[in-house]
Amino acid sequence: MSSHASTVDPKKAELWDTHHHSHDVISTRTLGYFLYLLSDGMLFATLFAAYGVLSYQHSYFGGPTPAEFVKPWYTFAQTIALFLSVLAYGFGMNALKHKNKSGLINGMLAAFVLGVVFLVLDIHDMSHLYSMGITLASSGGMSAFMVLTQVHATHIFFGLIWILVMMAQVMTKGFTEETVGRLLTLRMFWHLQAVIWVFVYIFVYLWGYIS
Amino acid sequence: MLVDLPGGWSPLLGRLAWSQIPYANPILAPLFVAVVIGAIIVLGLITYYGKWTYLWKEWLTTVDHKKLGVMYIIIGLVMLFRGFIDGLMIRTQQVWAVGPHSSGVFGSLHGYLTPFHFGQVYSAHGLIMILLAATPLLVGFMNIIVPIQIGARDMAYPYLNALGLWITAAAAALIMISLFVGDFAHNGWFEYAPIFEMQYSPGVGVDYWIWTLQLVALGTTLGGINILATIIKMRAPGMSWGKLPIFVWASLSANVIALTSFPALQVALGLVAADRYLGAHFFTAGMGGNLMLYTNLFWIWGHPEVYFVILPAFGMMSEIFPTFSEKPLFGYITMVLASMAIAGVSWLVWLHHFFTMGAGPYVNTAFSVATMLVGIPTGVKVFNWAFTMYRGRLTFNAAMLWAIGALFLLLIGGMTGMMLAIPAINYMVHNSVFVVAHFHSMLLVIVYAIFGSVLYWFPKVFGFKLDEFWAKTMFWLFSAGTALVFVPMYMLGFMGMTRRLEYVFNTGWQPYLDVMEFGIVVYTLSVLAFFILLYVSVRDHAKNRVGADAWGTSRSLEWMTHSPVPFYNFAVLPHINERDEVAWRRQHGIDNVRPEHYEDIHMPNNTGVAIILGGLTFVLGFALTWRIWWLCIVSLLAIIVLMIVRSFRGDPGYIITGAELQRMEEEAYRREAQIADSHHSHPVSGGVVGNAMAYQRNDSSK
Amino acid sequence: MSHGAADPTMHPEVQLSTSKGYFLGFAISAFLMLVATFLVTSHSVPPFGLLMVISVCAGIAVIAQIYFLLHIDISEHNIWNTVALVLFIPLFLITIGLTWWMFSQLYLRTMDMSVMSSAMQPAVHASATPGMAAMPGMNAHTDSGN
Repeated sequence: MSSHASTVDPKKAELWDTHHHSHDVISTRTLGYFLYLLSDGMLFATLFAAYGVLSYQHSYFGGPTPAEFVKPWYTFAQTIALFLSVLAYGFGMNALKHKNKSGLINGMLAAFVLGVVFLVLDIHDMSHLYSMGITLASSGGMSAFMVLTQVHATHIFFGLIWILVMMAQVMTKGFTEETVGRLLTLRMFWHLQAVIWVFVYIFVYLWGYIS
Repeated sequence: MLVDLPGGWSPLLGRLAWSQIPYANPILAPLFVAVVIGAIIVLGLITYYGKWTYLWKEWLTTVDHKKLGVMYIIIGLVMLFRGFIDGLMIRTQQVWAVGPHSSGVFGSLHGYLTPFHFGQVYSAHGLIMILLAATPLLVGFMNIIVPIQIGARDMAYPYLNALGLWITAAAAALIMISLFVGDFAHNGWFEYAPIFEMQYSPGVGVDYWIWTLQLVALGTTLGGINILATIIKMRAPGMSWGKLPIFVWASLSANVIALTSFPALQVALGLVAADRYLGAHFFTAGMGGNLMLYTNLFWIWGHPEVYFVILPAFGMMSEIFPTFSEKPLFGYITMVLASMAIAGVSWLVWLHHFFTMGAGPYVNTAFSVATMLVGIPTGVKVFNWAFTMYRGRLTFNAAMLWAIGALFLLLIGGMTGMMLAIPAINYMVHNSVFVVAHFHSMLLVIVYAIFGSVLYWFPKVFGFKLDEFWAKTMFWLFSAGTALVFVPMYMLGFMGMTRRLEYVFNTGWQPYLDVMEFGIVVYTLSVLAFFILLYVSVRDHAKNRVGADAWGTSRSLEWMTHSPVPFYNFAVLPHINERDEVAWRRQHGIDNVRPEHYEDIHMPNNTGVAIILGGLTFVLGFALTWRIWWLCIVSLLAIIVLMIVRSFRGDPGYIITGAELQRMEEEAYRREAQIADSHHSHPVSGGVVGNAMAYQRNDSSK
Repeated sequence: MSHGAADPTMHPEVQLSTSKGYFLGFAISAFLMLVATFLVTSHSVPPFGLLMVISVCAGIAVIAQIYFLLHIDISEHNIWNTVALVLFIPLFLITIGLTWWMFSQLYLRTMDMSVMSSAMQPAVHASATPGMAAMPGMNAHTDSGN
């Protein structure tokens, strides 16, 4: 931080921007998007806070608890699908670094397919619970469980749409400042879903299973 | 999965039916007619003068941060007026319905509002004043001023900026339409569990409340990201963090709060919606729900939100005091630290809104102490402002009067806030009108700062000053109204009057309520004075034109460019050498140095997408409120498709050539020279010795 | 300042991607999730210890992901992301931690502990009397029954 006492000689001071600084469009975009992602993280933190309050024994009101229906290895398969999807997108970004368009498209395609696998497993899980009569209307505890996990799944759903859109944009427009900026923001979005999934998996599924 | 609805539902119209239109209501029906006639007149005038193209091209599709800011402020002022009318209705009901012998009209036993209608009025009053008046007004000012103060040509994301505005406008429209289609929430602006559950509030009022708030939260989050990224990435060369104008610091801290806290509100509302729409049991009594969880989640957002609105107001005061004291701000660094400290502590105090929950002595003590800690940075600010004025060359114009008024109110509100921070006192006065009087004192700090800022920055945006006489008249009327309404309210709070009474049982309170009613009439006169102020100022605008430095004693960068600010803000971006760059250049006589040559600059194109998306979010909110599922799906799909289409098209922007820029700049300089010639009484920037001396005096003391 | 407007793929934020880093992030977090899942299903560790162990797994996995996937470090191009994250993390902790604290204190004072301790017996499991077993962090108080 500069001190207030003036050391600049007004006679020689530089008064106008003569170097023509053009600001870095991509960095500005990624910073703003990262800020959005952090506020999204706060959304999840609040959901976790609600889950914390509503995961006491009495929150389930004598009804089903996660300990009764969570299948750790099934959800572990979901975990691996999501992590692999994130990895595939990462490989795609590495291809982008080398201007390898087909490598990028392949990576995104793999990320998309694996993301679909994650989502299908999740939907299958939820419909299975529904068939057993377990819904978010079962109890306060189940409401918290369902909403937290399905808000994450909704993020995955919109991420998948976004991956498709970006594949189309890369194929039609190539590597422009806009598409590259969006690929970077999508990378942050997709990778953050893995970070949040770690919390969901450990503290909702596994913790729910053991308590 | 979806909950069973009480009352009718049709696939085509959802819950909407003719019976939902209150055409028999003796208050709403005439109002509706008046609104329709007013709208026809306005639309007719626009058509008559052929202004539709101008309106669409220059305003509705603009991405210029100044015009967006002006529209934010217009929305804020309109909603401030609506909220004021609600306040007038509340006061009138309470002065009328006192004691068992008070008369009643319009189907009400006492007074003129039924309890259900009265509940809607105070709920709408609170929600509107905080989220649709104060917030848009402050966001509007941040929008206009921050980019100019940091020497940027626009916000970091001009299109996102427009989107934020139109989503806020959609929220305002949604709450306005709740007047005439269905009901609004009647359980208070922050609602309570479980009364907002379907079985206790079967109407659409709570749903309107949910989606209005969700839209505001979305718009404010987008705006917050934009302002933060702008401040971090778009500062002019040479503007290190230590040279950032103080209002920018205030905006930074405020938007840190907005970005971090609004998600908590979105979750709280989302969970209420899950309860009401999907039959979840987050906040139900029984079935494992937790009533207080709602209150907790709401205030996790709610208290930081209070500081989100007060910090920019502090920033405004920090700009007005130095300008009209002809001294630099006292204690710049402590001011910055105080803003950041308030932003930080704001996250540790939310439980003081519900001390009476009974979380026990440990929890209450921790939150009580944290709440009192807020007094330290706030006290630092108060002393800094006082020392800024100390031995300054004070000019008591209207803007300064508003700022000083804000300072007095801050003392009253802050002291009563310290009282309320003590759980033992809080238990006594919880939900009394003492609390109401306290937070009105605090929110009026914001209103005072906003009116001060309107006067202070109006010439920058429009190129002429507002009329001093009517501005001062308005100030004194407003201040008299404030004293007459809120001093008795503090007293009634101590006497035990609880908030939200549609019927006042204690006839001994009548004299106080009479004084408050008189106060609100005085407030009404101040509103009239404001309208006259606008009329007189616009009528006489040719006489009140100003140059770049409208006050002659200004300090920060926005006063360096022309008034009104050209759409590109700065033809050539300035290089920043000092914290108070304009004052520094004026002191050294280099404020008239012009750039030697002009280069091409790149500007973003206007876009109609933002306003269309805003319209679609309004449709989505309306459809969700009335549970018109097909319309929800259609509008949501339309939003997604439109966003994708826009992302494919992108915005190449356009170039203003250096030659064109030079022509516009020379034109602006010529106009400014004419203004300087036409009235010499205006302090011409440059050789005002007083400024230089005041500047150096403080400098050498460091 | 202007980073390759001509070739956006040369932007430093594109260039910091490495396959090795992404693979390490994947491998570490997948392995830790595997360990956690195995421990949970094998019931080889007592519940409280298990909770600690899987929390540590989650913590390390998240740190690895944040470092390798989100590229959070103090280099020039990521410094603002890092600053923002560092400012946010205390707020995440405050939101969850203070909420959990105030409600555990509230339950301590508003829930009938004698009902709770009896509800811990599996026999009492009727929907008419909601089961209220001991809550985390309250074990020391269950006997006093206030």
